Amino acid sequence: MGSSVSHAATLPPPPPPPPAVGLTGVLPPKTEEKGETKVDWLNLPCPVPFEEIQREALMSLKPELFEGLRFDFTKGLNQKFSLSHSVFMGSMEVPSQSSDTIKVPTAHYEFGANFLDPKLMLVGRVLTDGRLNARVKCDLTDNLTLKINAQLTNEPHFSQGMFNFDYKGKDYRSQFQVGNNAFYGANYIQSVSPHLSLGSEVFWLGHQRKSGIGFAARYNTDKMVATGQVASTGIVALSYVQKVSEKVSLASDFMYNHMTRDVTSSFGYDYILRQCRLRGKIDSTGCVAAYLEERLNMGVNFILSAEIDHRKKDYKFGFGMTVGE
Amino acid sequence: MAPASSMEKIKEFLNSQIYDDDKWAVNSKLLGAAGLFAGSILFMRNFGDLMAI
Repeated sequence: MGSSVSHAATLPPPPPPPPAVGLTGVLPPKTEEKGETKVDWLNLPCPVPFEEIQREALMSLKPELFEGLRFDFTKGLNQKFSLSHSVFMGSMEVPSQSSDTIKVPTAHYEFGANFLDPKLMLVGRVLTDGRLNARVKCDLTDNLTLKINAQLTNEPHFSQGMFNFDYKGKDYRSQFQVGNNAFYGANYIQSVSPHLSLGSEVFWLGHQRKSGIGFAARYNTDKMVATGQVASTGIVALSYVQKVSEKVSLASDFMYNHMTRDVTSSFGYDYILRQCRLRGKIDSTGCVAAYLEERLNMGVNFILSAEIDHRKKDYKFGFGMTVGE
Repeated sequence: MAPASSMEKIKEFLNSQIYDDDKWAVNSKLLGAAGLFAGSILFMRNFGDLMAI
């Protein structure tokens, strides 16, 4: 106590504590076990966006597996602008009605340009088969963000576009979507406790006169994240991610589609090490997959992807290289 | 017939789900996937530290 107070004004020193009696002298002092702080219900954290409610599970369990050769080169022209060149040669799966997988050999080159600003992000990609992908993300104000996604193709009636308006509140987020084919959607997510957030979404598809509603919940602590999603389209999706250590995460997810009576569950691991990132998973259909990104040098990554389905006798192996950030 | 008690209704429901081939194909996948999901959660919570580096 460094304040200049005269000796006469200082309080007498507190009396010494009474001598410890019996067990209280032997056991360590009891710490407050009823939670460190009281929950401040008016200052709950802002939840994750509704579409990212399962992001930890998706990042660990759904790497971009591919079959064939992949080469990506990104060149930054200045701090905000960069160009990218991508080559892919391999097989792409075409969704088919029967249980056989149809693989189509594909080769394409993709040219892309990215502009990254704190408030504005523009990403464009054009492929040799005539497709154009464009994404815009613009912070209109501190809390309001506009996102635009567009995929334009040569074939008529196959182009898609979507406008999203995101509003971030103190402990809630809401989003409004407008898309082509008269698609309108809205979702809202609210933190109800420091660990739990609940959300719901509605959508209306004008051209097919379909509408749907869905609910989602996310419970997260430092060590784990558990989410559940139910939709009126007959989909139930649950996921659980356990952060075992700074470098290792284990994740599991479960998806049930009532319309197609399709059930899938998978369990995977994600090792994020200094020189590599290794993700692997096993499925309830007996499919085993792994994805390795190895950092060979500054900005040079070597990628290996493998997916083995013994039941369908479908073996997919891919390798590639990524140069640039 | 005498009105079925709730126990018999449950047994009837279970039998219809198990002994019908189509339904059993879906139900066995559902049980397998649910078992994998629940088993993996139990494994992660109790033995997750074994996989740490």
